[in-house]
Parts: sequence; C-alpha cells; structure tokens
Amino acid sequence: MTKTEVIEVIKRIIEENLDDVSIDDIDPQKSMKDYGANSLDMIEVVSCSMRELNIKVPRAELAEIHNIDSLADKFMEYMGS
Amino acid sequence: MSDNILNFSLADFFFNDSPSVLNPPSDFEEWMGHPAVQRGFSFYEQELLEAPRVSTRIRSNLDGKERRIINLTSYNYLGLSTHPEVIQAAKDALDKYGLGSSGAPLLSGTLDIHVELAQKLAEFKKKEDCLLFSSGLGANVGTIQGLLRKGDYMVVDEKIHKSIIDGGTLSGAKMLFFDHNSMDSLQMMLEKTKGKRTLVAVEGVYSMDGDLPRLPEILDLCDEYGAGSYVDEAHSTLMFGANGRGVAEHFGVEDRVGISFGTLSKSFGGVGGFVCGSKPIIRYLKGYASPWNFSCAPSPAVSGGLLKALEIATRDSSLRDKLWKNVTYLKNGLNRLGLDMGESESQVIPIIIGADGAKLMRFAAAMQTRGLFLQPVDFPAVPAHARRFRISVSSQLTQAEMDETLNIIEDVIVKGKE
Ligand SMILES: Cc1ncc(COP(=O)(O)O)c(C=O)c1O
Repeated sequence: MTKTEVIEVIKRIIEENLDDVSIDDIDPQKSMKDYGANSLDMIEVVSCSMRELNIKVPRAELAEIHNIDSLADKFMEYMGS
Repeated sequence: MSDNILNFSLADFFFNDSPSVLNPPSDFEEWMGHPAVQRGFSFYEQELLEAPRVSTRIRSNLDGKERRIINLTSYNYLGLSTHPEVIQAAKDALDKYGLGSSGAPLLSGTLDIHVELAQKLAEFKKKEDCLLFSSGLGANVGTIQGLLRKGDYMVVDEKIHKSIIDGGTLSGAKMLFFDHNSMDSLQMMLEKTKGKRTLVAVEGVYSMDGDLPRLPEILDLCDEYGAGSYVDEAHSTLMFGANGRGVAEHFGVEDRVGISFGTLSKSFGGVGGFVCGSKPIIRYLKGYASPWNFSCAPSPAVSGGLLKALEIATRDSSLRDKLWKNVTYLKNGLNRLGLDMGESESQVIPIIIGADGAKLMRFAAAMQTRGLFLQPVDFPAVPAHARRFRISVSSQLTQAEMDETLNIIEDVIVKGKE
C-alpha cells in the first residue's frame, strides 16, 4: 500500500467519525484537532485506521505526532513488517 | 510486537480484535506474559497487611516478603481513616444500623444518618443541598450523566479525571478538551459552544500533577459565555481554604461555583462521594443520576465514621496545619535534591522521571526494597515523556519518616543506587 492510499484510509475514517467533515476538505498537513476532534475522537480514528490497515503502533509512539501526514508516515513504518 | 514490547501499554489493547467478546485481544496475553511487562504490573495490587497509615506493612510482590514501609501512596491525607474517634463513631453506627443500607436511597435505603451527613456536607460547602453517593467515581458519573443530554456540551480541562469523562460519554453530550489551565484554549472552546447548553468541568487539585485550576478566571469565562461550572474537589476538600472547604474557598469564589464535587475516600478517610448545588438541581438529579437511584445507599457504618471525620477536620485546623507543615518540609528537601516536581502547589507532589519506563520501574523496586512505598505512575495515566512517582503527603508523617524518605529518594533517584 502506498502512503497516498494510507492517507485516504485515514481521511475516510475521519469523515466517518467526525461531524461536518467531508473527505475533500481534509488537508493531511493539518491535525485532526483542526477538524474538531477531541482526544477521544482521535483515539477512535487511529484505532479504526490501524484495524483496517492490520497494524499495531504503540500509542506511546504517537504522542509526538501532530498532523495526518506524519501519522501516515508512522503507519508506513509498521506496514509489511 | 516482541522487539518493542515495552512501548506497548494498556492503551493499545482497548480496541479488541478477538472474534469472541469473552476473549481479550489476540496479542494481549503475549504482552501481559512478557517478563518485563509482568515486572511493571507487579507493583500493582500489592497487599497492605495493616491499615493504610503512613507506617504500615505490605506483602511485596517483588519477592513475596512482608515488609514494614513508609507509605506515601495512600490518600489518607489527614489520617482520618484510623482516627480513634472516627473508628468509635463507625462502630456505634454499625451497632445501631448494621452493615448495609439494604436499598437504593429512593425506595428504602435512606437512613437518618445519611440525611444528617448530606445536610452537614451542604452546610460545610455553603450550598443549599447535597446528594450522597456510595462512590466518588459514581458521584461524578451520575451527576454529569444526570445534568447533560445529547446536543449539550461539556468543556473540560485535558487533565480531568476519568470519572467525569465517563459521565460525559454516558450522557451523550459532546466533549471538548481545553489545554491544561490555558484560558485562551478554554475561551476558544467556549466560542465553539456559544449559545449551546454547556458545562465547564475542572479539578480543584489535579490528581497527577498537584497543581490548581485558575478558578477565578475560569469562572469569569463561564459567566461571559453563560456556561455552568463544575469543580471536582476530590484532592482539595479539607485541605485548601482557611476552613478546609476547598479551592473555591481558597480563591474566594464559592458562591460562583455551580456544582461542587467531593469524594469521601481521600482526606475524609472513608468511601463515597457527594455533590453540592442548588436545591432544584439536586432534586432534579435524584431522578436521573443512576449511581444514586439504582444503587444501594452508603454503608451506615461508613456514614457514621464520616460524620465524625467531618467534625474533627472542621472543629480546628490542627490536622490541616500539620499537613501543610509536612508538605513544606518535604518540598524543601526535594528541591534541595534538584528533583522535578512539575507545577505542584499542593500535598500531591509528582517526581517526574521522564520517558524511560524501565528506569521508573527499577527506581520503584529499589525504593520499595529500602522500605519506601512510592508507586510508579506510568503511561497512559500520565504522558509518555513524563512518567513519574507521586507523593501523597499525610499529616501523619513524622520528621524521622520524612528524613528517611528523603534519604531513600536521594540514594535511589539522585545517586542511582539501585
Ligand atoms: C479527581 C478525582 N475525582 C474523582 C475520583 C473518584 O473518587 P473515588 O476514588 O472516591 O471513587 C478521584 C479518585 O480516584 C479523583 O482523583
């Protein structure tokens, strides 16, 4: 899977979980917070994405991630490993 | 997972991929069974063999040995759980009423001793009325769930206790978290909820950090935006304010707080929780706070002990004065050792170690072996870069115990003698 595809998965799950956000509006350089996510919403999005991508990234490693693009980078590290 | 097993925490197993709901996630057992993870968990659920006083005994999970320890982990801030007058009052109530209340408060569980305790707590907190719960967590969950509905908003400090978040989740209200103690961030959230029914919830003393909320400013913002206010004084009641009424008294804003929450399990030395507010809202809550109307009323023996605990803690300030003297002494000592106590302004004192979870556990083991019971607080309870120990100061601490505590901390944490 390419990073672009990973970003598409994350975007779709953001759309499913947050009110009033559509895929086309989501800029990967932004944080989910910018789209109204609270910390519980973010855990939900990250967990659903990982489940769909069939990976498990420790939450402790996600603390420093501040936008969707770097979340995708982190996911890529774990893909195919 | 095997190569980075220590990077995982309970936070990573919340979502369960097992086909059966009665099985944990497929890799949970593997993780739990790993020796390094077991070592971490061995600090939890250690048995106390005597009352949770400062000086007590535990059966140490490190080696199975019984050990006399200086206990800086229990929340027995004023030592009231073992105060002779409290024990006598609990015994008297036990003799009179028996062990249990045998019913939910609404139908048959309300005893005169519960009514008296609730009245005294309302008077103490200078509110019209009080609702008594069998647990502190239940009081938060029930009150928040009773106050808020789908379509409402709850704006909370990001460090707020889990019981308030759980209440919010149960209520169906939308939750917004503001940056810890940041008034800009709070205002930004209140801009978003403008015109909607909104509750702002903060703690009196933040339980992992020991710092205080900026209550006067928070209440100003609540007034400006027409939001209700809720202050969880679990760790501040009987400690803060000239009369021990909490941080609201400390800041001189008691009449501006909408709902004041307290627990009976920490400084009070018993178990249970309560919320104080106006008569109409307490009456309303009785209809909708499930932990109150669908759960048995508190044990009368505990309520009897608590009435006495309240009397002792408020008839003079001697226990509180002793506590603050001890806080100052310990903080001065820890300061001399150059330890990072974060922003603590209270009897809750973190010693922040950093990101290294393995080091935290090594220190914890070494201190326990030396006779100091200071529990590690690990991610996800605190941020992964700020793992810590957390001292709960007690009025019971003697000078000798504090000196010994500082000695052990110096040897283990400062000099690295493990
Ligand atoms: C801030 C805060 N609120 C509520 C609670 C719940 O109180 P209890 O342990 O009495 O149920 C606690 C303690 O666990 C707490 O620290």
